[in-house]
Amino acid sequence: MYRWTRDLHLYFGLFISPFILLFAASVFYLNHAKLIVGSQPAETYADLRIPQGFDRLKGLEAVERAREILPQVEAAGEIGFLRYVSSTRHLIFPVSRAGVEAMVDVDLEARSATVTRRTPSLWESLAYLHKMPGPHNIAIRGNWMGTRVWRWFADATIYLLLFISISGLYLWWAIKAERRIGFALLAGGAVTFFGLIYAVIR
Amino acid sequence: MPSSVKVLDVWNRKLHFYLGLYFLFFLWLFSLTGLMLNHQQWFRDIYQRVETKYDLGIEASSGATDLDRARDVMRQLNLRGEIDFPAAQPVGHLDFNVSRPNGSSQIRVDWNAKDVYVREFRNSALHAFQIFHTFSGSRFNQPASRRDWIVTSLWVWAMDALAAGLIVMVLGSYYMWYRLKKRRALGFAVLTGGFLACALFLIY
Repeated sequence: MYRWTRDLHLYFGLFISPFILLFAASVFYLNHAKLIVGSQPAETYADLRIPQGFDRLKGLEAVERAREILPQVEAAGEIGFLRYVSSTRHLIFPVSRAGVEAMVDVDLEARSATVTRRTPSLWESLAYLHKMPGPHNIAIRGNWMGTRVWRWFADATIYLLLFISISGLYLWWAIKAERRIGFALLAGGAVTFFGLIYAVIR
Repeated sequence: MPSSVKVLDVWNRKLHFYLGLYFLFFLWLFSLTGLMLNHQQWFRDIYQRVETKYDLGIEASSGATDLDRARDVMRQLNLRGEIDFPAAQPVGHLDFNVSRPNGSSQIRVDWNAKDVYVREFRNSALHAFQIFHTFSGSRFNQPASRRDWIVTSLWVWAMDALAAGLIVMVLGSYYMWYRLKKRRALGFAVLTGGFLACALFLIY
């Protein structure tokens, strides 16, 4: 039992360690960075094949139609949201993945699109992955294969991290000489944790 | 084996589980709330908020800035939390929001009428639990946002400490694994697999 637990703790830990480094390093960026984005040059694409139905379709169905435009404007990634402007017959949506961000503005009548692209820094890309898939626009989230696969890895990281923390408790408990100081640290951590929670919500 | 290597082996191992034990509750909170954030469809019922509204008379504030005046109003209303201002203020008014994980308040002060209108929202316990994951008082893509409540700063400090602790634990675990000669080959394969999988998302 001990040997199996120790080996699984080691190998699962090694596998998810790059993901833990990614999630941990991006915390500093998310907590302390200030991103200022300047204006970007725009590219124009004409003679596009425009799918029909944006005036009546909603949610994932509309997103699936919008995805047909992406290869024509040389963009790929997760569509963040869709905004259909009925007065001007424009369809506006952001497309992103780690390392690439684009805002696509399609003129449905003229069958043309204006695309503004930006290359985020490595830190931004780490933060992007940290926040994906996230809580927003869940009806359409995962409309790109990359996001769906990433969601699987992000979940696996959490499940394995929970396994590693519980197996770590077992491995620590097996070392009798370390129980007393371990308890003190566990108690110290609990006091800090619940003390902070109390300070925030009281 | 030189004694300095032995000392490093022992203390690196101790540091690994000492940090793990100290940060255990923080790690569980961020793991479970991470799962909640990525699977909102499992938790649809937790986002119902209890709303209350009220009007109150208020004393004029002598604060020099909007932040000082907002703090003064919060003191009078006995409110605590992170302050968030709108992009612009109506003349003769002070509008702001106050938030913390278990609830938020929208404050609309009319200085001329010496009156304040408050909408308070109380979150469910599970919703509050989830908000701790993102409660930093600052958004990197909104440069104007900044922390102005010391308790938020303490929470952010705890987040940073957990992140630093995890990085130290991971790096220390590489050393411990490398010292286990029999597990180097399989460990190397597993670690490489993890790095390749992770790198794929960054470069693809």
